[in-house]
Amino acid sequence: MGEILQINHLEKSFGDHAVLRDINFSVQQGDVICIIGSSGSGKSTLLRCINFLEQPTGGQILYHGKDAATAWKRTLYNSKVGMVFQSFNLFGNLSVLENCVLGQMQVLKARRPEAEQRALEYLEKVGMAAYRQARPAQLSGGQKQRVAIARALCMEPEVLLFDEPTSALDPEMVGEVLSVMQRLAAAGMTMLIVTHEMSFARDVASRVLFMDGGVIVEDAPPAQLFSAPQQPRTQEFLKRVLERQL
Amino acid sequence: MPSNIPTTFIQWISFLVDKYGQLFLRGTGVTLLVALTGTVLGFILGLLVAIVRTIPLPRGKWYRQLPMRLVYLLLNVYIEVFRGTPMIVQSMVIYYGSMMVGIIKRGTPVLPAAILIVSINTGAYMAEIVRGGIISVDKGQKEATTAIGMTHWQSMVHVVLPQAVRNIMPSIGNEFVVNIKDSSVLNVISLNELYFTGKSAAGNYGRYFESFAIIACIYLVLTFTVTRLLRLLERKMDGSKNYTIYGSQSDSQSEITIPAEEA
Repeated sequence: MGEILQINHLEKSFGDHAVLRDINFSVQQGDVICIIGSSGSGKSTLLRCINFLEQPTGGQILYHGKDAATAWKRTLYNSKVGMVFQSFNLFGNLSVLENCVLGQMQVLKARRPEAEQRALEYLEKVGMAAYRQARPAQLSGGQKQRVAIARALCMEPEVLLFDEPTSALDPEMVGEVLSVMQRLAAAGMTMLIVTHEMSFARDVASRVLFMDGGVIVEDAPPAQLFSAPQQPRTQEFLKRVLERQL
Repeated sequence: MPSNIPTTFIQWISFLVDKYGQLFLRGTGVTLLVALTGTVLGFILGLLVAIVRTIPLPRGKWYRQLPMRLVYLLLNVYIEVFRGTPMIVQSMVIYYGSMMVGIIKRGTPVLPAAILIVSINTGAYMAEIVRGGIISVDKGQKEATTAIGMTHWQSMVHVVLPQAVRNIMPSIGNEFVVNIKDSSVLNVISLNELYFTGKSAAGNYGRYFESFAIIACIYLVLTFTVTRLLRLLERKMDGSKNYTIYGSQSDSQSEITIPAEEA
């Protein structure tokens, strides 16, 4: 089990407002880490700092032991640390197939036949190969998110970051996306998932991080965190949330 | 011969069309040529200016930002000057100015100068239109390209600009229509475009109303046709409303395997 990412004393502030302070944790290969916490606790910002969509204002991210900010070429690092967004962000001008082909050809310098073949392979796995010709605007939210997952997988990343992947979906579409993610986890994909789906976190995660006020309050396996949370803040959050969800 | 001189409006119209039809057609050709090339070149110019203006400032000390800031300043001056003065004045200044410093000689064809003037003028407007188009593309599009490792340039070429250009097609069409009409001001540097031919025809018989009624109709036909053609182009850019669902073994329950980590 190799260590892929190590986050050391990560900080991020927007002006005077500190969103992340002293974040420390590591990601081992095969980890499925769910990050939970209330809105504004810094979960999404943490994810966005990990692939440098936001510039951290302090601390370090080590990727295979080397500083991701300086020792790795940014484009290479970003292709290895994939991201799935809350609002899908499929390329609106391209078909489903081309969405999955573009990155392979531009970043991985793959040739078109191989890129298309791999794209179809992953589209097949998320059940969207039949829609290869469709444009993003013609798909439902759940379909878009499954294509977005296939697009990320096409880059053959080592880690996938999910930023609230089901929060923008209608309730009946949440299931189809979660089931794809569950199968990914079972296949050994390393994933970091910011989510409000507590039952998903409980059933699928290997570790759960609870964040509040820009710090990781508790980091434990789901069985422990959900049944016997140690910190008062975790207890209070879970009480509030689980009453509604389960 | 007096018997040949028309007396009614209709007779004058048909007389002028008969006598100057060829001239009007050539004028129409020149107007279209100047408007079309001016719009296309102006669009390319505006695209370049807008792309340069969206390049983020380099991080670090002020002197590393200086070259980029100078470029921004120059582009701003260009946009302000050419949007802030009438094209009729610009054409006088550029045409007679370049003659004075000897870039062009008296008697050289005026057409290239005319196209240049319309292009530069259109470019200043297009720069702002394209900038608006780039801003209108959802930020998530750029983020998604960054997240899979694409560079700023790759992102612009393959994802942002295609959507930006689609969004500004109506404004580009506007500019084209404006150029068809406003190229008439180039008569001040004796470009034989449509308005200029109308003036020549009118002057010969002193029939201003009839001549320019014909010219007005031709302008209207041009702008109307161009507007419809651009609508068609827009629809073509949007692609088919239909798509094929391929019959396949596509199954959302299929097994997912992750390729083993290369050592």
